[in-house]
Amino acid sequence: MRGVRRFVKDLLRGRRTKPFTVDRTDESQLRTAIALKAGGADTGPSPEFVESLRERLRTELDDNPPVELPRGNSRRRFVTSVAAASAASIGLGAAIERGLSGAGSAVTAEPPPADQTLMPDNGEWRAVVAAKDLPDGSVRPFDAGTMIGFVRRTSEGLYAVSGVCTHLGCKLALDGPARQLNCPCHNAAFAVDGSVLHHRLPTALAPLPKLMVRESEGVIQVFVPPQPA
Amino acid sequence: MSDDRYPDWEAVYNDNVDRVYRLMYAKVGNRPDAEDLAAEVFVTALRPLRLAASVGEVRAYLLATTRTVLAGYWRRTLGREITVLEEDWALVEPAADSGHTGAGARAEAILAELPERYRRILQLRFLNACSLKEAAAELGVTVGNAKVLQHRALRQAAVVADRMEA
Ligand code: FES
Repeated sequence: MRGVRRFVKDLLRGRRTKPFTVDRTDESQLRTAIALKAGGADTGPSPEFVESLRERLRTELDDNPPVELPRGNSRRRFVTSVAAASAASIGLGAAIERGLSGAGSAVTAEPPPADQTLMPDNGEWRAVVAAKDLPDGSVRPFDAGTMIGFVRRTSEGLYAVSGVCTHLGCKLALDGPARQLNCPCHNAAFAVDGSVLHHRLPTALAPLPKLMVRESEGVIQVFVPPQPA
Repeated sequence: MSDDRYPDWEAVYNDNVDRVYRLMYAKVGNRPDAEDLAAEVFVTALRPLRLAASVGEVRAYLLATTRTVLAGYWRRTLGREITVLEEDWALVEPAADSGHTGAGARAEAILAELPERYRRILQLRFLNACSLKEAAAELGVTVGNAKVLQHRALRQAAVVADRMEA
């Protein structure tokens, strides 16, 4: 009760609300208080806020400008695709973890773009999983800091693909039993080899870029962009 | 937006900052948190954004990000998702949407079902931003009474709101 009162008080004063232990009845009071408060004169963001956030984005993005993921381009610049992938692994990845609906049967036929292996301009081998933890036929997610993805072993060898959706960069989730990689944002799905299984997007969807991968001294390594200094 | 694409991230920002902020405000009810969360959305979303995407796709993506940022915020602070951004907000036609969140109508609907005095106090405090003292004067009661009235009214409003949702 005290928590609710303080929450409401902060809300009414336009202050940040503070954490407390919430139970079910509290919850509906908080929700209602928010609904009522938000129903008041809605003045929108202040010009100062809009300007300062623009400045902040400018600083952050200019170090590492947003990039276009080329599609259907057989020779990709490693740095380009990877910059997007790594950003997603840092921020978006943690955020996008919603359930998957996966419903619907829309399968879009599209011309399979040429096979794409990222051709690195620079990078480094990074250990991502112990070799013994990747038996034949298995798939494992990895987070190599600057890059997230999935490694896989078959009787033919080792493979790795990027773990970032080629649509708008959401982090993919592995559905092990179905052997597919699901995108929580707009329900696209990729096979573990990176090919597109299905999506309902109005545009074509590129397959996942492949990464170079090797086994060395009992560990699986992938070739990823170097950690920024 | 000509030919349905944003030329650069700044255009994405300019076109969506108002909307994202308002969505957050409608879901957290206070300016500082809404600002923090709107900032989090843009910082998270702009970097991996592919500008070749259409305006509609970019907006859908920003909404998806807004939804997850909001969910993360509640999980972090109160451990429960107090408010959610409904699925179908993502389907709102961009052209028909000018940052309007429907929050006013919802507040009105809740208040409409309350007894007069409850409605009054909540209106004064929440919608008109009156202080407790001002509200008490307006209602002709003591500050202490106004406080009690407000708490009871809010509890009653929560029952109404729950019923409206069910
Ligand atoms: S970001 Fe994956 S389907 Fe849209």
